[in-house]
Amino acid sequence: MRQPNLAFQVERFGLVIVWVAVILLFGVLKPDSFLTWSNFSTIFGSEAVLVIVTLGLVVPLTAGDFDLSIAQVLTFVSMLTAILSAKMGVPLWIIIPLVLAAGALVGVINGALTLYFRVHSLIVTLGVGTFLHGITLWISDSQTIGGVARGLMQWSIIERVFGIPIAFYYAIGLAGLMWYGLSYTAFGQQLRFTGRGREVGRLTGIPVGRVRLMSFVVSGVMGAIAGLIYTGTTGSANPSSGTTLLLPAFAAAFLGATCINPGRFNPWGSVVAVYFLVTGINGLSVLGFRTFVQDLFYGGALVVAVMVSQVISGREERNL
Amino acid sequence: MIKAPAPRLAIRGLTKAFGGVRALSRADLTVMPGEIHGLLGKNGSGKSTLIKILSGFHAPDQGTLEIDGQPIALPIPLGKSESYGLAFVHQNLGLLADASVLENLIAGDYGRLNPLAINWRAEAARARRLFGENDLALDPYDLVSALSPVQRAQLAIVRAADRVQGRSSDGLGGVLVLDEPTPFLPIEDVRVLFTTMRRLTATGISIIFVSHDIDEVMEITDRATVLRDGAVIGTFQTTTTPRAEIVASIVGRSMTTQRMIGAYSGAAASALRVEHLSGQIVRDISFEVGRGEILGLTGLIGSGYDEVPYLLSGATQAAKGRLHVPPAAHDLPQMTPSAAIQAGIALIPADRQRAGLALDLSLAENVTLPLLGRSLSALWLNHFRLAEITAEIIARFAVKADRPRQPASELSGGNQQKLVLGKWLQLGPRLVLLDEPTQGIDVGARREIYERLVELCQSGTSVICATSEFEQLETIAHRVLVFDRGRIKAELGGDQVTKSAIAHACYQENQTHAPA
Repeated sequence: MRQPNLAFQVERFGLVIVWVAVILLFGVLKPDSFLTWSNFSTIFGSEAVLVIVTLGLVVPLTAGDFDLSIAQVLTFVSMLTAILSAKMGVPLWIIIPLVLAAGALVGVINGALTLYFRVHSLIVTLGVGTFLHGITLWISDSQTIGGVARGLMQWSIIERVFGIPIAFYYAIGLAGLMWYGLSYTAFGQQLRFTGRGREVGRLTGIPVGRVRLMSFVVSGVMGAIAGLIYTGTTGSANPSSGTTLLLPAFAAAFLGATCINPGRFNPWGSVVAVYFLVTGINGLSVLGFRTFVQDLFYGGALVVAVMVSQVISGREERNL
Repeated sequence: MIKAPAPRLAIRGLTKAFGGVRALSRADLTVMPGEIHGLLGKNGSGKSTLIKILSGFHAPDQGTLEIDGQPIALPIPLGKSESYGLAFVHQNLGLLADASVLENLIAGDYGRLNPLAINWRAEAARARRLFGENDLALDPYDLVSALSPVQRAQLAIVRAADRVQGRSSDGLGGVLVLDEPTPFLPIEDVRVLFTTMRRLTATGISIIFVSHDIDEVMEITDRATVLRDGAVIGTFQTTTTPRAEIVASIVGRSMTTQRMIGAYSGAAASALRVEHLSGQIVRDISFEVGRGEILGLTGLIGSGYDEVPYLLSGATQAAKGRLHVPPAAHDLPQMTPSAAIQAGIALIPADRQRAGLALDLSLAENVTLPLLGRSLSALWLNHFRLAEITAEIIARFAVKADRPRQPASELSGGNQQKLVLGKWLQLGPRLVLLDEPTQGIDVGARREIYERLVELCQSGTSVICATSEFEQLETIAHRVLVFDRGRIKAELGGDQVTKSAIAHACYQENQTHAPA
């Protein structure tokens, strides 16, 4: 129905275009170290965890809630996996469902506190996340725990398809699943109305409370999946691993909402945003900049992303 | 007492037009020192335009304002009215519930306070003195959320008085404009408020009291000015003027409206019945609505008529009541929106922007939401089908829109409302509930919405329409229930469904004031 006009397409794929431009720029500057398949396959594989955390955030964000606990779910699940596997020798087929259930339980707790006491999810999940970090430090005695079952590493990072670690394909698979869920199911529409027109949704019979609870459960499970893959990627669990992932994931979620389906949090936009951000950081570090560029880049991206989305919606209003 | 030499406030020839429509036409209003002056009129009579000119919100096209004999340049700069001795209390009172009485009392009092050094102890002492003078039992450190509704109204009024008392240009009393402060108060509380008002006028303050309620105006005011269609019909001594004369001047001799429906002739046997319904305001009301009947609900502000659609559809929880939609019966306290949809009940809420449509989302998403998981599969949304369904609705309801994928915010109010109507009517409901269906909608779209509602009732659907627009009821209602303080006070049917009969019923003397 919509006329495919150029401005709209540029807006949709703007971030992709910028990403390609960034790749070309660093490629010209550092052709041997940056523009290599091994560099890119490493980026694709190791940042799969960030993609999954970002995808996890997209669900509650779409429903109008924040989940700040997701990175600590990752850390907690990672530590739990390492302890169960390395210290207690529990087989993976027991660990995996157990930790996914733990992630879901955190989601239920977040949702129940947010809904029952009508507290803003920002506060609830900040508290629950910090509490969870406390538990993580406690059970690990603040130590990094290694020696995780090899199977987990095998199926996260060692196994490769077209040279890219298999974790990348999990992330893409989850993005596809989430894209289908958000775009082609009634639940996706219910999430969207819960976020953007809660009263409209309520009066049209959407159980908005249950939808919000589900969105926290989904983000909890996604955090747990990310935790498993993180443990598989590094072969160990570090009690502060997730802490540095929270802001990048938010930056990517908001930046992702400016592309592919502008104005909405969307999975493919999030994937593009994550890889755009890590490409930029990787390129800068190849050029010799030190670790502080990470914070500059992620922090700057978050602010720029919300500014851009504000400009997008502002322009829409003038379109009347 | 009102033979004082110079009027406190004098408005002459005030005129204001909006897009060629005269909202106010050469209006005069004189208020004496220490007077309580009523301002009466129906919706759209020009009362709020006049108030908004006084507060500086609108600039008049013509007219002058004098306060204590001094000409005041119009428009008054927004936020400066207090320095001219004018203060306003609106219906929402403008109090912050989470803050203390004292914080509310001094909020924004920059004329007197030093914003960099507030002496809380001195302010509290001053507040106690002020409350003492006005005989209010308020503690400065109480939270406003802990006050009763009448205490809040008293606080708002005393605060407004405090801003203008003795601080107008030459130390005179100032003018308070009370804009419908009473509609949600029970009659005993209204009397308490009147005592507060009398205490203030005894100190020389003048009060303009805007209300729908003639009985209240008769009881508290010295004189009252009646506006109709933007013009001043007259100013009356309320103590000596017969009530009927004031009612007649409010209601006027209206031109007959073209009715779009004939007499209702349905079978009572298949009627939908509401029994013993109670909510926040309505108490124990029962009524019926037939198949193919359009039932209008109306009343003055605060009478509770506008609560009924939400209670019947489970949008707000009823305290008590049953709804019979033969052959089923529903307990209303357990009603939910989804149960209502299941039972064939559709609600079209007044708040289009928040409850009618999600403005950020597309037309197609808005229209098809109630179909998901019902007539459309929940696990495979075919977006082409959604667009098709939406295009059909856009065509059938003559919505002016470019494409189903555009955001709902891009439509005008009238087209938004037609879309909401389409969203619900596609479900083929048995009972359609509407609250102010044409609020803020232009004449053309209004007409189209009426046509849709008439078609709907011809197809056998029952319609309940809550509205404050009497003309709308004359146009499309078979029967009208008039509410007063949570109860049904009159039922008008057949030839009686006219603007003036409805208005007379609304303004009819209340039993609570003087038994008929």
